[in-house]
Amino acid sequence: MTARQEQHYVCISCPIGCPLRLVHEGDQIIEVEGQECNRGAKYARQEFTDPRRTFSTTVPITGAVYGRLPVKLSAPVPRQAIPAAMAAIRLLSAEAPVRLGQVLLRDVAGVAGVDVVACRTMDRVMITPSDDPSSAT
Amino acid sequence: MFGRMNRRYDVVVVGGGPAGLAAALGALDSGVSRVLVVEREPEAGGILRQCIHAGFGLHHFREELTGPEYAERFVTQVMDRDIDVAPHSYVTGLAVDSSGHRLVRVLSERGGLATVECRSVVLAMGCRERTRGAVRIPGTRPAGIFTAGLAQKLLNLDGYLPGRRAVILGSGDIGLIMARRLTLEGCKVEGVFELMPYSNGLTRNVVQCLDDYGIPLHLSTTVTRIHGRDRIEAVTVAPVDETGRPDAARAWDVPCDTLLLSIGLIPENELSESLGIALDVVTGGPKVDSTLATSLPGVFACGNVLHVHDLVDFVTEEALRAGRFAGEHARQIRRPRDAIALVPGANVRYCLPHTLSADRPHTVYMRAKTRMSPCILRVGNLLERRLRFVVPAEMIHLTIQPELLERFYEDRLQIDLLPVDGGGVP
Amino acid sequence: MYDVAIIGGGVVGCAIARELSRYHLRTVLLERLAEVGFGTTKTNSGIIHAGQQTTPGTLKGLLEVRGNAMFDQLQRELGFGFRRCGELVVAASAEELASLERMKADGEAKGVPGLEMWDAQRLRREEPNLSLHLVGALFAPSAGVINPYEFAFALAECAVQNGVELRVEQEVESIALRDGGGFRIHATVPSGPGAVQAGLGAVKAGPGEDSVAGVDVEARFIINAAGVHADKVAALVGADDFIIRPRRGEEYLLDRRLEGIVTRLIFPVPTPASKGILIIPTFDGTLMVGPTAHDQDDRFDVPTTTEGSEEVFATVRRLCPSLDARATIAEFAGLRAVSDTGDFIIGPSRVPGFFHVAGIQSPGLTASPAIAVHVVELVGRAGLPLVEHDQFNPHVAPPARFATQSHEVRQALVEADPRFGRLVCRCELVTEAEVHQAVDHGARTLDGVKFRTRAGMGRCQGGFCTTRVMQILSRRLGVPFHEVTKRGAGSWLVIPMAEDREAAMTEAGGMSAGDTTAGAGEEAPCSDA
Repeated sequence: MTARQEQHYVCISCPIGCPLRLVHEGDQIIEVEGQECNRGAKYARQEFTDPRRTFSTTVPITGAVYGRLPVKLSAPVPRQAIPAAMAAIRLLSAEAPVRLGQVLLRDVAGVAGVDVVACRTMDRVMITPSDDPSSAT
Repeated sequence: MFGRMNRRYDVVVVGGGPAGLAAALGALDSGVSRVLVVEREPEAGGILRQCIHAGFGLHHFREELTGPEYAERFVTQVMDRDIDVAPHSYVTGLAVDSSGHRLVRVLSERGGLATVECRSVVLAMGCRERTRGAVRIPGTRPAGIFTAGLAQKLLNLDGYLPGRRAVILGSGDIGLIMARRLTLEGCKVEGVFELMPYSNGLTRNVVQCLDDYGIPLHLSTTVTRIHGRDRIEAVTVAPVDETGRPDAARAWDVPCDTLLLSIGLIPENELSESLGIALDVVTGGPKVDSTLATSLPGVFACGNVLHVHDLVDFVTEEALRAGRFAGEHARQIRRPRDAIALVPGANVRYCLPHTLSADRPHTVYMRAKTRMSPCILRVGNLLERRLRFVVPAEMIHLTIQPELLERFYEDRLQIDLLPVDGGGVP
Repeated sequence: MYDVAIIGGGVVGCAIARELSRYHLRTVLLERLAEVGFGTTKTNSGIIHAGQQTTPGTLKGLLEVRGNAMFDQLQRELGFGFRRCGELVVAASAEELASLERMKADGEAKGVPGLEMWDAQRLRREEPNLSLHLVGALFAPSAGVINPYEFAFALAECAVQNGVELRVEQEVESIALRDGGGFRIHATVPSGPGAVQAGLGAVKAGPGEDSVAGVDVEARFIINAAGVHADKVAALVGADDFIIRPRRGEEYLLDRRLEGIVTRLIFPVPTPASKGILIIPTFDGTLMVGPTAHDQDDRFDVPTTTEGSEEVFATVRRLCPSLDARATIAEFAGLRAVSDTGDFIIGPSRVPGFFHVAGIQSPGLTASPAIAVHVVELVGRAGLPLVEHDQFNPHVAPPARFATQSHEVRQALVEADPRFGRLVCRCELVTEAEVHQAVDHGARTLDGVKFRTRAGMGRCQGGFCTTRVMQILSRRLGVPFHEVTKRGAGSWLVIPMAEDREAAMTEAGGMSAGDTTAGAGEEAPCSDA
């Protein structure tokens, strides 16, 4: 028989931030308490069974108005996969033009269905402000 | 059209960030056709372009977007609807000619110092960050001290890390988000230090940006000294008492090569001030009536230049309204003057707009001074609403219907946030 | 071989360099930091003293009054920010009033023009925001405020334009006597913590010189104007006849909205250690309060302190009660070079050909042009041939300031040069053309641009303009963006992410994108919550 244990979370569903206590025996959730609404229980269960996160970062881009293209994950990945996802994105680069939503990498870190997508359109610019000929000497 | 600037417009919008873009769309919706957005950056979109994290649009679009995605939705609409956008351009002043037209002075490389004539102006310049001087941290003046927003720009637009070992002062959302961002990029974040006994950021940001990455949050603690000759080498941090005074006996040093300051935002009102527009000392932004008109006729304000918002969705809502009213003004539609002053009462730091009329619904924005949970929101003797909580970091919004004001004959309406266990208006 | 090597590019060294450039001479100016005027000069209170406060009979007293009188012409020639706003030494008691009477007599004996005693009523009328407890004041109309860094920049630029060689980031390490007369100075690039880390390439050395190993400079005469380091430099040739003890002063710059609270310099009655803590209406229209005066041993570390701030505001509030620490927008500290003789040390040392210009604390800035004339005369007497240059040009072109121009002038500027149409600093309204001008005039760092153009001095303190100025500097200096520094070696600003990316690729060792295992085990950023 597995001993009864508990996990503590702070609910992020709304700004109240209810302190949640989840009681479990092994993988079996016994109860969740501390929440002021149903979303708290749901959040704690998700955190306990399969905590997922998403993040945004940038990749280098050439030929655009700035040197970085913002990218995001199309869906959350298991929290443990973040370092691998980040490492994979670090190897990417892009060349303008890029369209909003364009997929730069499929199934990032081996997570099926989670892609790395461009968060904005970046047109190709011929002269960027930083190498404006009028300023060169 | 992007890059086009004529000499005559109905409405000129100063600033092409989320407020300016929505104001331009609002103006067009009101029936005017000639709208110009003046933007100092090479492209429109404003600060959202560097806010690459998700969390935008939950109210306005009912989905979670990153900053650049949210911005692009508005940039696309502005482009589709033939609004002129002048990039690399800066408004240096504003005058009124004898026929009542506003003359906007626009400085740009291509157009020189041009004068643009219009009927209405919308101020949408956003806000700027408080700096080291504002919090007066003693010590040396080395390189490596950045406001969080500048570091965010360097990182997310230009591709440069501010350093390899950072301390963050201030736990507002920008500070929390930068903590995660720097960590992901390989910069070690030694800790986030917050003067107040609570974080000024959203709970989900504390959880997802700090807790997830094991970054310590030190509440009631502040940076008391900066060390380092050429580049910052360490900071001294110390716990503070209830009055905010540091306890030197319990201070310790944190080695670092970077200090990020995330210590608050201030509406960017140099232009407004130079025009003699009346400002609210609490918000730092202009005083506005229920049409978001400032004390200078034909000049409107919205977004962070009016008051610092925590959600861009509300900036959009406010700016769409400001744009519509600016457009109506340009079409010579005049409304009667507001008859009711809206004033902050118990536990209300500020409320906007400063005046109301009884002829139409109004959206009122306000901020609490301190946390209260639960609490009663009371609008004069007209309305009471129970709120589960109020916190200073979360703006409260409320719609006041005209029916409510039908039989309100006073000239002053006070808003209070009261504890639930009774207690009248003080 | 140079005729003269000046060690130290503060305002004194720069003034000497310009003075020497009037003559047919080969002169070199060696500066430890990235730009001239970046040491004590940059943190100076920026006051041109009238002269009545200094003890009569001292060298500093003499050169102060002489120096003051030179500033109108210097301002016309060099175009730095300077305004004679006058100063008031205010008395809070009958005893203090009596000492002001003595000060007035002393000042008149030294030739300080226009001194007047003001009674409480006059003081109140002229400066209505001062404390009601003040009983009178001594008014000195010839005192003024100046931007000391602009003065140093213009002096150096004028000297260079007239043939002086300026070498920055040269720290003098040894000085040897040359066979056959003169000296051999060995200088190296100062190393600051972090210089290596950021891979700084901004090393200034002449063609063909190995900058890391250092450079040798030979000169017949040396003028030691090394400020707080002057005794250390003197010791290199065994001419250490004095000791310099740095005395730190903290200054607090207040928000522009306080402009006009006082219109003149406000001094308390001085003590032997210092002229006290003052209220300074700066040339740029801001108020500054300070400085403190605390001796310290460290010659590099110049922090502001909580105690200093408390001392400054407690003191100035006695003079002007409406001043508040909360109005501070910036704070900084500097080191005065205080000698153990109590007076300026100017003249030949016991080593022939090696001249001291040391212990130049207050009123050093005021005296600096007179010091330069004086020391050049002394070196001339020691055998330096002073043959005047008929090509000497005393003028430098003052920079065009967009912010202070009328609409019409602004229009003309943009038409002539479209770079005036590109805004770099929005708080102080500085355009790209002005940043280019600053580089043309010698700026090499972010601070160099800031102190020449005011970009970054405003309310947002560089939040908006930093990256723009860095881009221009990067382009103009021909260095990568990340090699632009705040103020020279060690003060690096950013690290390129590209570098990190290369490291990541090496680390990943050709791992294919999407590989789930690589990297996951190492230093997982996620803690187990």
